[in-house]
Amino acid sequence: MQYMLLIHEDESAYAGENGGAVMEATLAGHMKLMEELGAAGVAFSGERLREAHTATTIRYENGGEGTLHDGPFAETHEELGGFYLIEAKDHDEAVRWARLIPIPGKGAVEVRPVWQD
Amino acid sequence: MQFRDLDLAEDAFSAACEAALREKAPIRDPAAWAFVAARRRALDALRKAAREARALSTQPEADGMGDVIAFPEPIPDDRLRLLFTCCHPALAAEARIALALRVICGVSVARIARAFLATEPAMYQRITRAKAKIRAARIPFETPPPGEWGVRVCAVLETLETALGIAYRNAAGEGETEGLAPEVERLAALLAELMPDEAEAHGLLSLVLLVRSREGARVDGKDTMVPLSQLDVTLWNARRIEAGRAALDRATALRQPGALQTLATIHLAHAMRWRRGRTDWTAVLRLYDMLLAMRPTPVVAINRAVALSRAHSPEDGLAVLDELEAARLADFLPFHAARADLLVLAGRREEARAAYEAALALAPEAAEARFLAAQLAALPD
Repeated sequence: MQYMLLIHEDESAYAGENGGAVMEATLAGHMKLMEELGAAGVAFSGERLREAHTATTIRYENGGEGTLHDGPFAETHEELGGFYLIEAKDHDEAVRWARLIPIPGKGAVEVRPVWQD
Repeated sequence: MQFRDLDLAEDAFSAACEAALREKAPIRDPAAWAFVAARRRALDALRKAAREARALSTQPEADGMGDVIAFPEPIPDDRLRLLFTCCHPALAAEARIALALRVICGVSVARIARAFLATEPAMYQRITRAKAKIRAARIPFETPPPGEWGVRVCAVLETLETALGIAYRNAAGEGETEGLAPEVERLAALLAELMPDEAEAHGLLSLVLLVRSREGARVDGKDTMVPLSQLDVTLWNARRIEAGRAALDRATALRQPGALQTLATIHLAHAMRWRRGRTDWTAVLRLYDMLLAMRPTPVVAINRAVALSRAHSPEDGLAVLDELEAARLADFLPFHAARADLLVLAGRREEARAAYEAALALAPEAAEARFLAAQLAALPD
C-alpha cells in the first residue's frame, strides 16, 4: 500500500545566521532516510519543493474557472516543503518511516494513504 | 482492629529515603528509586496486614471474581488486538473509547451517545469515521511491536481511565452513563487478563473495582452527591474492595510502579475506612505526593491539597491551592469546590460562600450541584 508523507516545515528555519547549517543537517537527515529506505527495499519516490512564495494557487469558489492567487493554498507558519511517496505494509510502518523525516524546529509530517482500488 | 496498613506507606517512604542515603552506588533518579522502594515496603506491609485481617475477620472470604467478570469469548488474542486497534493513537481520542465499547462490548450507539452527551447521529458518524480510517489508512490489527509497546499500552490505559471518569461524570453513575461502568470493568479485566505482565493494567483494574465498590453510596436518598470522606461505608461492596486489593497485589508483585497503581492505592486507603472507621489522611497525602511526581496535573494537585488540609490543617491546604495558578483554573470546577470546602474548614465563611457560588456558576452535574447548594445553604450567616 502506498502512503504520501507530506512535509510541512517552517521555511524560516533555513534563513538567518544558522540557516546554512540547518539546511545541511536537514539534507543529511534526508540522505540518511533515503539510504535506509533503499536498504530496506522500500519502493519510494520524493521531491523537495521550492519555497512557498514561488507557489501559485488556483482557488475555486463555486466550481467554475478558478482564479489564480499568488502564494500557497493556506497561509500558515509551516509550508509544504516536500514529500515522499512510499510503499508500506500498513499505517504503522508508514508512520515509522515518517518519523525519520528531519524537521528543523516546528513543523509536521502528514501521513496519507494513497487511494487504491 | 490492627488494620494499620496504609499508615505504613508514609513510614515506608521515609525508610526508603534513608536507605537511599546509605546506598553506595549513585542513584540515577532518587525520586523514582525512593518511590519503588517505598511502594515495595508499603505493599509488603499491606499484604501482611490483609492476611492478618482476613484471618481475624468475621467477614466472609471474598469468593474470587468469577461472577464479577466472565468472558464467554474464546479467542483472547483477537480481543487484545482489537483493543489495541480501537485505542490506536492515530484515532481521535474521543473516538477510541466509543469504538472499543461498540466493537468489543457491543454497547449500542444510542447508549454510547448518551454517555458522551452526543447525539446519536453524531456518535454514529464518529464511530463510522474511525472505522473508515482504520480501513483506508490500514491501521494494523495486531499487537504493537516491542519498540511501540509502552506508548500503545499507555494509549489503551488512558482510554479506559477516561471511560471510567465518564462513567461517573454524574455522581451516581446513573442516567446517561448508566451501565457504562460495568463495561469499563469488563474491558479493564480483559486487559489485565490478556497482559498479565503489565503492572498498570492490574492497577487500572484495581482502580475500577475500588471505584465501583462505592457505587451504591455516591448519592444519598435525595440524589445529592455525598463526598468521598462522608460516604456511608456500610454501603460499600466488600467483595469489590477485596477484588481491587487482589488486583493491586498482582500489580505490585510486578515491580513496575505507575500512576494508576498509586491512584488505586489511594482508593484502597479510602476503602480501608470500611474496616477501620477512619481515613488515614497522612497516608493519603504521601500517596498524592507520589502521584503528583508522576502526574503533575491540576486535578492531582487539588486532591493533594485536600488531603493536606485533612492531614495537617485547612490553612496548609489553602496555601497550596493558592499557589496553583488561580487564573488558569478559574473555569475549573474541582478547584472552586475544593477551595470552598477548605475555606469552610478554616472558618472563612464569606470566602467559602464566594467559592461555592463560583463552583455553582460552572454548571456542575445535578447531584453535585445539589451537594454544593446544600453546603452553601448550610453556611451560617
